[in-house]
Amino acid sequence: MEKHDERYLLKTKGLTKVFGPLVANSEIDLVVKPGSIHAILGENGAGKSTLMKMLYGVYAPDGGSIMMDGEEVELHPPTKARAKGIGMVFQDFRVVPALTILDNIALSVEKGFTFNRKKLKQRIIEISSKYGLAVNPDAYVWELDLGQRQRLEIVKVLLAENTRIIIFDEPTSVLVPQEVEAFLNMLRMLRADGYGILLITHKINEVLACADQVSVLRSGVLTYTASKEDGLTADQLIGAMMGDKELKTVEKQSGIQTSSELALVIKDGMIKGDYGEVIIQDLNLQVRKGQIVGVAGISGSGQKELAEVLFGLRGLLKGSIEVAGKPLKPDVRAFLEAGVSFVSEDPIKESVIPGFSILQHMVLDGMELKKKGLGIDWKALAQELEQSEQAQALALAASSRRADTLSGGNVQRMVLTRALIRKPEVLIISYPSRGLDIGTTRTIQQHLLELAKQGTAIVLFSEDLDELFKLSDQLVVLAGKRLTSPYETASTNAAQIGQLMLKGESA
Amino acid sequence: MSQPTSIAFESKSTFLQRHSSWMIQTAAIIAPFILFGIFLTFYEVNPIELYSSMVATTFGDLYGFGEVLLKATPFILTGLAAALPAKAGLVNVGGEGQLAIGALFATWFAIFYLDQMPALIGIPIMLLAGALGGAAWASVVAVLKVKGKLNETITSVLLNYVAVFIVGFFVHGMLKDPNSFNWPFSPEISYSLRLPVINGTRLHIGFVIAIVLAVAVWFILSKTRLGYRIRVLGSNRLAAERAGMNINRMYFWVLLAAGAIAGIAGMIEIAGIEGRLRATVGTNFGYLGFLAAMMAWNNPLRLMATAFLLGMISVAGNKLEIFSGLPSSSVNILMALVLFFILGSGKLVKR
Amino acid sequence: MIADILTGAIRSGTSVMLASQGELVSERAGVINLGTEGSMLCGALGGFAVTVWSGNPWLGTVAGGLCGLLISLIHAFLVISCGANQLATGLTIMFFGMGVTAFFGKGFVSQQIVGFNPVPIPLLSDIPYLGKILFNHDPLTYLSMLLVPMLWYLIFRTRLGIILRAAGEREEVLFASGINPRLVRYLAVLAGGFLAGIGGAQLSIAYTHSWVENMVAGRGVVAVALVIFASWKPVQAMLGAYLFGAAQALQLTVQQQGLAISPYFLFMVPYVLTLVALLIVERRKQSQTPEALGKVLAGSG
Repeated sequence: MEKHDERYLLKTKGLTKVFGPLVANSEIDLVVKPGSIHAILGENGAGKSTLMKMLYGVYAPDGGSIMMDGEEVELHPPTKARAKGIGMVFQDFRVVPALTILDNIALSVEKGFTFNRKKLKQRIIEISSKYGLAVNPDAYVWELDLGQRQRLEIVKVLLAENTRIIIFDEPTSVLVPQEVEAFLNMLRMLRADGYGILLITHKINEVLACADQVSVLRSGVLTYTASKEDGLTADQLIGAMMGDKELKTVEKQSGIQTSSELALVIKDGMIKGDYGEVIIQDLNLQVRKGQIVGVAGISGSGQKELAEVLFGLRGLLKGSIEVAGKPLKPDVRAFLEAGVSFVSEDPIKESVIPGFSILQHMVLDGMELKKKGLGIDWKALAQELEQSEQAQALALAASSRRADTLSGGNVQRMVLTRALIRKPEVLIISYPSRGLDIGTTRTIQQHLLELAKQGTAIVLFSEDLDELFKLSDQLVVLAGKRLTSPYETASTNAAQIGQLMLKGESA
Repeated sequence: MSQPTSIAFESKSTFLQRHSSWMIQTAAIIAPFILFGIFLTFYEVNPIELYSSMVATTFGDLYGFGEVLLKATPFILTGLAAALPAKAGLVNVGGEGQLAIGALFATWFAIFYLDQMPALIGIPIMLLAGALGGAAWASVVAVLKVKGKLNETITSVLLNYVAVFIVGFFVHGMLKDPNSFNWPFSPEISYSLRLPVINGTRLHIGFVIAIVLAVAVWFILSKTRLGYRIRVLGSNRLAAERAGMNINRMYFWVLLAAGAIAGIAGMIEIAGIEGRLRATVGTNFGYLGFLAAMMAWNNPLRLMATAFLLGMISVAGNKLEIFSGLPSSSVNILMALVLFFILGSGKLVKR
Repeated sequence: MIADILTGAIRSGTSVMLASQGELVSERAGVINLGTEGSMLCGALGGFAVTVWSGNPWLGTVAGGLCGLLISLIHAFLVISCGANQLATGLTIMFFGMGVTAFFGKGFVSQQIVGFNPVPIPLLSDIPYLGKILFNHDPLTYLSMLLVPMLWYLIFRTRLGIILRAAGEREEVLFASGINPRLVRYLAVLAGGFLAGIGGAQLSIAYTHSWVENMVAGRGVVAVALVIFASWKPVQAMLGAYLFGAAQALQLTVQQQGLAISPYFLFMVPYVLTLVALLIVERRKQSQTPEALGKVLAGSG
């Protein structure tokens, strides 16, 4: 049984959260101790975020209790959690890009309508040098990369009065391998200063590297709890995370000769961003028919802008872009006619048309439009869609469903079906597996490989190095406003790519 | 169009929700009348009497019914000038100015080129002139939108003021009636250019034109490939862009078409009712059409009904002035109230 | 003559300037309010009416501000609480203002008031040339000039200003800081309505000393346009408003000089000038647009 005299910062008992028919968290018991790192491990969708959002007061629990300082507390809304000394570093940072770091920090740390700018600046510099979190208080947030934004978030949490517990939500997902070590060091410093740290992650090696306790979540249930003294092993943790699920793996057949025919070429390009700043310069890229080129990089390094250039949504400031040997102007129509398809990184925002059915989405840059008088022959299209192999393979929802009622995963299925059904010459695809379960992810990856085998040139943007290595023939890396020259997947490794993500190619 | 579907519970948005949304919509129409009625009682007007006489005059005899249809005609057209761009995601409030410039062009043609023309040739040319005028004025908004990236709502409202000054310039100058004893209006157009009227009413053929245009716009929007593309653009511009549509070209032509329709409304005002151009031609018709379109959720078929309702209210406004001495502008308050409730209930109904 | 135009620029630009400062606050919080026109109308009539009754223009000014605020409350409620389309709602408010003021204003059309009159500031108004342009105005004009640097300080140097700007950029960040962005927006819209109401009152109490139906004549719409022209910065908005005022002053001067230009062309100048100014500004890359506002202007708000 539990020892009652044990020191703790926070303790939960039977914590439960339900969303409609889905039980996101069921009967969670958890203890956070001062001066310790407690890792919460689990796959995507296991309920980690829900649990943390209850502890940070975003959600009110539907059952169970939370104890702090010997009494039951209510943490919802987050202002209450913060008053109790709980801080959280979110995955999607809660910052205003149009404001400076100083303004952002003043917004969350200060009270009242006015504040002493000088004093706050001083405090920022002090705390950031103490923990090695270099930030410039007068810089605008939109100028910062994601690593810097994360540091801003951490400074914000540390500057808040009486912070005792810090929750990190997948903190290393925005960092390159080399930054991760520095980050873990900072965690150890925080631990030494007595903070209680909750680290949400799905990366087992991080857990093994620094955690004092581990709790594993699977399908909303705590399946495993252990501390360092009990001896943590990777196999145990994997077993606890995955259960007895078995998954078929994607096989990339090696040795397939890609054709020598160039499908897509960018020469000496330059891309500018929405604020007029240079995003990528000296841009050169070649993709051959049947080849998959993976683009790696810390998110926010210009992936979005590059993808837009590859589909004609954004113009090159200098240089040229050619598809199948033909130079193209920045005009989506021309790119579509040249056989380019595009799956954007945010399909809900950029592809879903409110009030339109799935079928009505399909004729936009997908299925061939069937005319009927002045109108469209929707009936024939529906039949064709239902019989298509792509729709069946991806388990597309019924074609009459309204797309704006679909879940994120189903929207992803829809846009992928649409892209695949066209059998494009060139496919630009961003984050294909985002928001999907492992099974569907595998199916999609299989389809991409299949498509490449049939001669499609694919440019794959992903934040998942595993995925990039699994699918790509060549890898290029976006870093430091440049795109590196290609690396053959077979002859490089994650460490080298990580190094490039951090520093780019030395000239 | 506004069929309700809740996001959270996808498949089961059916009877109850459709029903409740219908009730909310009805309540949103009735509530402002009650509110305005309370307002009227402070001014010693019996609202029930007013409303019942409103219904009685509308449906009592052919003349009264004709008057309401007459009032509704420009509202349908300026309403289309707002509804069509709205389907493409644009907020065009330029109906007011487009109507005025359409009336100016139509009068100009009628007086200088069509004076001796028989009706069969003269009226269609005058109609085209009106459409041309409206389209020309809308093209200013369209160019500012497409080339200058200026928001069309702000530019179209600003240009409404400019349009009124332009009409003022002409009726004080080149178009002034030499026999008017210095009053600022144009000479009367030739009698043969006046729109034919239905016996026993003042209702003219312009009403038919409005109905035909409303049905045509509805058909194009909901049944054709062009309409499909316009709706895609209006519902998600990013998706339209990614489907390779030339968004600027579509914006341009949709705005021009809207302007042409509003310009036709201006021509109809001249050829159907006024017979000559004044600086005050069609004052507020553009805004009222915009309100009618909002009330109809930009559906051209429903627009005919909402324009009819606004027509009834306008006629009632005249009666209010005659019988109780309240200014006819009082009904503008009622119209604005109606729209407030529509706007306020929008979120409840739409999703 | 140039000095006359510049003096006139301030005199006739002040109402627009007050309204644009108010609209700037509202737009910084992410709400565009074309109902500014309606707020100005109600402010002009309310201010005029109270001045007639009380004989005190200061009371009238406050009343005008409150009238403008009340009208903007409708906008705030429909847009923030009901999620209605901002542009359409603003237009309806504008129409509503026209109807309400035409209705209640009928009895005031021929009334006369003393109102505010220019008060030369001792010494300063004796400065050659500049003194006449800057320091010979009605009290509301002086106050409006003081308002501009105060607003600048408020928006860019205080936490209140940060909160205001954050509401127009990322409301979820405000939420995370325990501040209700809706409340911020409400207050910003109401402040905007209040200032627009005072602007309208300045028009009727200090500028024309009379009430005429629809006397605001698009100044509210111009104020909204000027805020965009000014890239949401108070000082630029002030300059834009004075530019509009100069165009109006030019009109009067030309008429006084008896030049043979149709007055109708001159009437157009301020509106056309506003459009041209907007066009010039949009030519340079716009990245300062508050995010929430950008969505509205792009048609997805």
